[in-house]
Amino acid sequence: MRVLVQLRPAPDVVAAVADPAVTATAADVVNGLPGVLLDPTFTPVAVPRPLPARTGGDPLSLNQPLIFSMAPRDASVLVRGEIADDELSTRLALLPGRAGVVGVYADPVIQTSLTCGGDGPVGDWRDVRRLLAVDRLHAEGYDGSGVALAVTDTGVNERHVAAALGSGFVLDRERSWSPDGVVGRPGEFDVDHGTMCAFDALLAAPKASVIDIPVLLSRRPGGSALDGLLSDAMAAFAHLRTVLDAQPAESRALVVTNSWGSFSPDWDFPPGHPGNYSDNPAHPFNLIVGSLAAAGADILFAAGNCGRECPDGRCAYPDRPITGANSHPAVLSVAGVDVTGERVGYSSQGPGRLADRKPDLAAYTHFAGSGAFGPGEPDSGTSAACPVAAGVVAAIRSRVPSTILSPSDLRTLLMRSADDRGVLGYDYDYGYGVVNVPGIVEALRARAGETRTAEGRPWLAV
Amino acid sequence: MVLITVRLPRGATLDMALRELRLKKEEVDVAYGVVAIDPDHGLYGLRVSAMAAHRLTATPEAMDGPWADPKIEPMGPPRKDR
Repeated sequence: MRVLVQLRPAPDVVAAVADPAVTATAADVVNGLPGVLLDPTFTPVAVPRPLPARTGGDPLSLNQPLIFSMAPRDASVLVRGEIADDELSTRLALLPGRAGVVGVYADPVIQTSLTCGGDGPVGDWRDVRRLLAVDRLHAEGYDGSGVALAVTDTGVNERHVAAALGSGFVLDRERSWSPDGVVGRPGEFDVDHGTMCAFDALLAAPKASVIDIPVLLSRRPGGSALDGLLSDAMAAFAHLRTVLDAQPAESRALVVTNSWGSFSPDWDFPPGHPGNYSDNPAHPFNLIVGSLAAAGADILFAAGNCGRECPDGRCAYPDRPITGANSHPAVLSVAGVDVTGERVGYSSQGPGRLADRKPDLAAYTHFAGSGAFGPGEPDSGTSAACPVAAGVVAAIRSRVPSTILSPSDLRTLLMRSADDRGVLGYDYDYGYGVVNVPGIVEALRARAGETRTAEGRPWLAV
Repeated sequence: MVLITVRLPRGATLDMALRELRLKKEEVDVAYGVVAIDPDHGLYGLRVSAMAAHRLTATPEAMDGPWADPKIEPMGPPRKDR
């Protein structure tokens, strides 16, 4: 355990520590403390002594007017150190009174406050490209060429995305699809959430072919727990299955990014009911997700914005907010970090409802990007993190089709190569860590050396 | 309309589903049609009236459901309000 030790050394030592012109060390203050590993990198700090401001005041009370004396005879000094956890109680009992020790205090890890909804952007899309090592990705030939990238969302505005990117991209009108009743043509929808998702996915995979699936624009009449829109997502996935099946096996590559979910149990049957969605792997949407993944599609879902520190106001699940397909074992469930690598406070924490270990990994969000929500507004939510990760997957698929590396194996490589954050190993905040492009490129190279195609060629070289 | 699933031969059409389930067109969301959930295993989804779903539950081997069909929403930007 890390501790702060308060000492009362000789007045000349206190005077030296308090003197800004002098840089003292722990060794100058104390000649070792039994059981305490002193931190030589920590510069000792002089601490003033509180004294009663009025004559006759209680010398032990802090609940009275006080003055703080830095006089060498009054002040004390703090040094930092570490006590072995299994010796903690003994050392804490024995240390005070020895070698001028006044007290021993915990030195807990402190954190800056996490980024929340409503906060301004943290960094911009150029930072995200740099963190994703996009130049290296592209230099290795991973740029999304020949990959179908489906954005199931509110529709894409091609003109806005191209202007924000500063370059055109391929919008695949032929393979795009809309639910019945949705008015508008692919690539020509209002600038909104789906436009942000397309922009964020293209950061790593600018040559991917974007398939526009405006499933969130569907409006079906109703109002009971049974009338909703998940059935439209199911129809969209059925369409994507036809897209996948039509691709030649040697270049099969379909990445589906899903930055949406169901926020409230009020719209669902309760867990345990046979028709339930949130906790039920047998629900038809969860089945179609598994079926599409098994056929070779890489499917990514946002983990959600119900993190404990600052949840979205719509979050209504009392616990385990990563529900339904967002927690499906066959998808990559994506948490959000800002460009400093810190988890954003709204990013949902696991465990998931269908699979325990959710989220799987984290990607960047809350940066100045597409401008889809207006000038100065960030691309935010795990909504942005999901397509950022999907872009990395799409970039990889430009050289490694799913017939060579299955979606399940690619997920494993992404998780193994992730930059671990939080506690050591997997945790429910970051999953296996932040998506790590150099790590995945190295993992792909290593795997290519081990694996050969049916014709005996290294598969990455085909 | 409620969401149900049925087992049908691969390549099933709406007309085929109507015949198999003895449904009338007005009892089905025709615009939604028949959705292939797992074509390899002959699993399809369709939306039918609550009355039709109730009638079909009398022959449970014909269908599964009704299934929850919840509202879905974008995961962002994070909102402070409900």
